Amino acid sequence: MMLEHILVLSAYLFSIGIYGLITSRNMVRALMCLELILNAVNINFLKGNIFSIFVIAIAAAEASIGSAIVSSIYRNRKSTRINQSTLLNK
Amino acid sequence: MAIAEFLLFVLTTTLGGMFLCGANDLITIFVAPECFSLCSYLLSGYTKKDVRSNEATTKYLLMGGASSSILVHEIELQEIVNGLINTQMYNSPGISIALIFITVGIGFKLFPGPSHQWTPDLYEGMLHSWFSSFRDYECNRSIRRQKDHPKMIISWLLRTNQIRWFFFSIFLTCSYGTKVEKIEKNQSFTTTDEGFLEKLRIIIAFLSVTSKVAASASATRIFYIPFYFSSNEWHILLEILAILSMILGNLIAITQTSMKRMLAYSSIGQIGYVIIGIIVGDSNGGYASMITYMLFYISMNLGTFACIVLFGGLPPLAGFFGKLHLFWCGWQVGLYFLVSIGLLTSVVSIYYYLKIIKLLMTGRNQEITPHVRNYKRSPLRSTNSIELSILFFQN
Repeated sequence: MMLEHILVLSAYLFSIGIYGLITSRNMVRALMCLELILNAVNINFLKGNIFSIFVIAIAAAEASIGSAIVSSIYRNRKSTRINQSTLLNK
Repeated sequence: MAIAEFLLFVLTTTLGGMFLCGANDLITIFVAPECFSLCSYLLSGYTKKDVRSNEATTKYLLMGGASSSILVHEIELQEIVNGLINTQMYNSPGISIALIFITVGIGFKLFPGPSHQWTPDLYEGMLHSWFSSFRDYECNRSIRRQKDHPKMIISWLLRTNQIRWFFFSIFLTCSYGTKVEKIEKNQSFTTTDEGFLEKLRIIIAFLSVTSKVAASASATRIFYIPFYFSSNEWHILLEILAILSMILGNLIAITQTSMKRMLAYSSIGQIGYVIIGIIVGDSNGGYASMITYMLFYISMNLGTFACIVLFGGLPPLAGFFGKLHLFWCGWQVGLYFLVSIGLLTSVVSIYYYLKIIKLLMTGRNQEITPHVRNYKRSPLRSTNSIELSILFFQN
């Protein structure tokens, strides 16, 4: 019974994260949703694996790189909205 | 923007890719592509003053982050399934769910059919900054006197290291070719502590995205040894991906007016062919055909992005042997539908390659002609010799 509860919680957080990542107009919000996804996956490691520590470290590195990109965008444009990026048209 | 950071990013990307080549358990299969991807994000966003490059990096980062998280989700599903297998529950729906997650997660990184949206934007955003800086450098002699200027670094890297990167990428291909031989001889790999029954194997090939080879973001080629008991589902998934990517890539590439986008879409089509090689897999030297095709693909794309010159002519000729071998293996295994679609889309791809040549001959496109004058000779020489050697080797 405990197994199912953890899985359900993880799937719920994962879906919230994916939804937020897809429908966010702000870059910072998208980064937060990315972190949420990775943490949702991190809950799921049941047997006390060392893999969850790897996931924490990689999520931290990716958040730092994302923040660097956000700051460079902000310096160029003075805003962090994604829907303003229409330069690369099809 | 000094050169030290730039080299660090490129070397760390290479390191991540090489770890991926030598991965034997699931932890490495997650960590190594992450290392590779993070440095690729940094490389693509290297020119931070350029807004288009920033936008391309944003899209790449969000898509890459989502795909990595899906891959992690798959890995933890894999572990749960493994616990189920230990209690003798084969063919549970969890296995197919884990399989779907793997394909989606890897599929984002490999950019086959359905998830190719970010690739042309990425190519165009990155290449725009590199190209414009290079063109300004070449045409404006006053910039050349500056030291440690990024434009000077770019052109220096292009001139001195292009051939070295070429050999380096071929070396990488050969290094994982040895690993593929191990697969063909059915040698066993080490497993993780939990004792996985399925063994995942990921193979990577480097692709130069930008014309400045050293600054390229590398795309990964991933394939894996099938789950022994669910190889049918896996084949079906990859067949769908291959068909989608071949059709989409080649058809959309016809209608493109921007050179960089056209090359991006053509690379999407190429991956469809590579996926055929993945599906063929175990029998009849399918892995070998995939490797040879990837060698040709590397040489084609390095040359194409490096000088955007007459390489429209060479892919139908030199890459022809690679495609022939690939299609022949696919035909032998029995994937008639896939191979016929592959042949059709190859004919389509010849059309837009020839369009490049026609543009060059008539000389209307102003973006190409400075590159034509400068680089008409040396890359052709280098790539010709290497492709000739490859052809001799194959025979």
